[in-house]
Amino acid sequence: MKPPFYTRYLALMVICAILGAGIVIQMIRINYSNSAQELIAKSENYQGVNETIYPPRGTIYDRTGHVLATNQIAYEVGIDLKFVTDPESIAFSAASLLDLNYADVFAQASTPQSGEDENRYFVLASYVDEEKIAELQALKENYADRRAEQGTSTPSLSGLVWTSMEQRAYPEGKLAANVLGFYNYFSRESAQGVYGVEETYNRLLTGQPENVFMSNDPYLVEALPEIDTGASLILTIDREIQAMVEEELADAIDWSGAEGGTIIVYDPETGEIPAMASTPTFDPNQYWTYDETFPNPTPYNKAIGAAYEPGSVFKVITMAAALDSGAVEPTTTYEDTYGVFWVENTWPIYNWDGGAWGEQDMTGCMQHSLNVCLAHIAVDLLGEEDFYKYVQAFGFGRSTGIDLAGEANFPLRLPDNNQWVVVDLATNSFGQGIAVTPIQMVTAVGAIANDGQMLVPHVVRSVIDGNQQYAVSPQVMGNPISAETAKTLTSMLTVALEEEASQALVEGYSLAGKTGTAEIPTELGYTSTQTNTSFVGWGPSDDPQFVVYIWLEKPSISKWGSEVAAPVFRNVVEKLVVLMKIPPDSVRMEISAN
Amino acid sequence: MKKRLLQAYKQAPWRVQLQWIGLFLLAVVVVATVTGLYLNINAKAAAAGRNVQWLESDIEDITAEISDLTTKLAKAQSTDKMMARAEELGFHLLDPETAVYIEVPGFNPDAEVVLAPPRSKVIIDTPIVQDSYKSSLWDWFVKNIWQVSDGAEGELR
Repeated sequence: MKPPFYTRYLALMVICAILGAGIVIQMIRINYSNSAQELIAKSENYQGVNETIYPPRGTIYDRTGHVLATNQIAYEVGIDLKFVTDPESIAFSAASLLDLNYADVFAQASTPQSGEDENRYFVLASYVDEEKIAELQALKENYADRRAEQGTSTPSLSGLVWTSMEQRAYPEGKLAANVLGFYNYFSRESAQGVYGVEETYNRLLTGQPENVFMSNDPYLVEALPEIDTGASLILTIDREIQAMVEEELADAIDWSGAEGGTIIVYDPETGEIPAMASTPTFDPNQYWTYDETFPNPTPYNKAIGAAYEPGSVFKVITMAAALDSGAVEPTTTYEDTYGVFWVENTWPIYNWDGGAWGEQDMTGCMQHSLNVCLAHIAVDLLGEEDFYKYVQAFGFGRSTGIDLAGEANFPLRLPDNNQWVVVDLATNSFGQGIAVTPIQMVTAVGAIANDGQMLVPHVVRSVIDGNQQYAVSPQVMGNPISAETAKTLTSMLTVALEEEASQALVEGYSLAGKTGTAEIPTELGYTSTQTNTSFVGWGPSDDPQFVVYIWLEKPSISKWGSEVAAPVFRNVVEKLVVLMKIPPDSVRMEISAN
Repeated sequence: MKKRLLQAYKQAPWRVQLQWIGLFLLAVVVVATVTGLYLNINAKAAAAGRNVQWLESDIEDITAEISDLTTKLAKAQSTDKMMARAEELGFHLLDPETAVYIEVPGFNPDAEVVLAPPRSKVIIDTPIVQDSYKSSLWDWFVKNIWQVSDGAEGELR
């Protein structure tokens, strides 16, 4: 027997079952429809974003801990279209405060807010400084007050937005710009260090950018992974010495009428460079002006990137080779009867003044900078094999390995080269017909100032990575000459400088040094009357703590190194000894006697 | 006889109904408690997640601000500005001829500036998240209850 209302219950059940089945089928259909797939794809955009996290670029300090390069906040200003209510005010403020084109900004801010354009974002300006942002903020607030007073919806900067971004900053401006290089930060993805320390240590300074998925779902949020931050560098550069050297260089160029110049201060005991200045230079805070300051093919840092014929400063290398090989002794004499030395009876070599200087010992040859004497030593006493063996041992013909990007190297023309002729041996002995960079010269001379041991020049003193400070150890390049030879030559050049009453002398300090005046080759040979003037000196002679190299290009006041470069050397050393806290010889002797 | 005995031990219908209602309510209470706990923990997890995001953002902002302030300080102490300030105060560069040198035992004018601890061979790895935050309830139970009872037994012996 069927219960009462059985048929009604059955009908109701069937209807419910059909409705339920219909709902389930509809749910399945919706889930697998094209619209659903589109919605799912769209929703994935809201799940989170993949972001590349760039660690802050490492800071660069000078040797005393003062900041030379770091990061500061700048802003990106843009238009977030969905909030824009008053395109005219936005265009007006962007044009007046950010120097942008009114019509362009107005067109962007007036883009119809519908469909895909609704969420559009326009970048108006990048790396806007804090002061401009403060002005924009003040204007925004001012407009808000006016709206409140007038009860209107305009003027309004709603939709004009700014977000902070990191910008490389060089607080010292031009100081040591040629050493630091610069960081071209405008495009973050392709940003990298260019020239100098910024390029050489780019990977260390940059750290390790990491791709991270930033979930919008709070349940899936995780703490950001530990990012490998950029390492910081402590340089060998001393900002006070660097500032002094840059000032002296600028004064020297101004006074001498030179086209440009370079000054390097080098520590022969460690290979450290406390100062390195060269022209041209610029403010790396405005690195986009690079092309104006360094028209092609101007090297960014002439101290390492420009090769030139050094002239008589190279005689130091020739004399070192001759003394070390035993070809000469300080007392060996040379009879300069006619003021000319004939190479294979074909090529004449003359002295700088065209005169003859009579009998001279080796100190006299260096003191009077006699080309004929040095040519005689190279051609008749040393010979090509020994001469070039020493030249190569001093590091010429290869890079010094300094940790700065952009080092140039001009290969040596050696006897096995088809273009080499024997007169090259004679001219090379006094620094003509051979191209060297200032850093090569200073490194080679460093061996003479450091008991024959030559150290790799470097500008990074220590690295701070992972909150630990690592000191950079000095590296030995080689021992081209013995300690005895180095001491002998230093004594000879100290005497030569004193007896010549050189303008390079500094009262109270014994210094060794050599001037250089080099003719500049043209396409037709040595036809130019212009010269490159140089001076290399080191001191104190009994315990050298610095080597200073001066190079002034094409001075107009005089063509002689002794008259142009030597006084600059004196000016630099007078201040350098104070900044390096090197007491006069008498004080040092007194202290060591006690 | 058998039939009568069964009837004698059968629960009264209202008592059976009460038992079922009681059981149902117990199930409801359990489900409600579990749901409440679940919601509470989820809400806390969500709040913690949002907090993490805010803190990460704060860290980023503060790091940038530190860099910015460092730059401002460096600009204020740049060579040019320090030189100008020194000159304003009446100082001038020392002349080597008038300089007076005094021997100071132990003073090294070329000492290396220390901006971070020197490289050390032993690196102590301090965990950021403590173990207690990473262990499960079971781990905690084993560690604290089980081991305590083991210890107690040991003492008794």
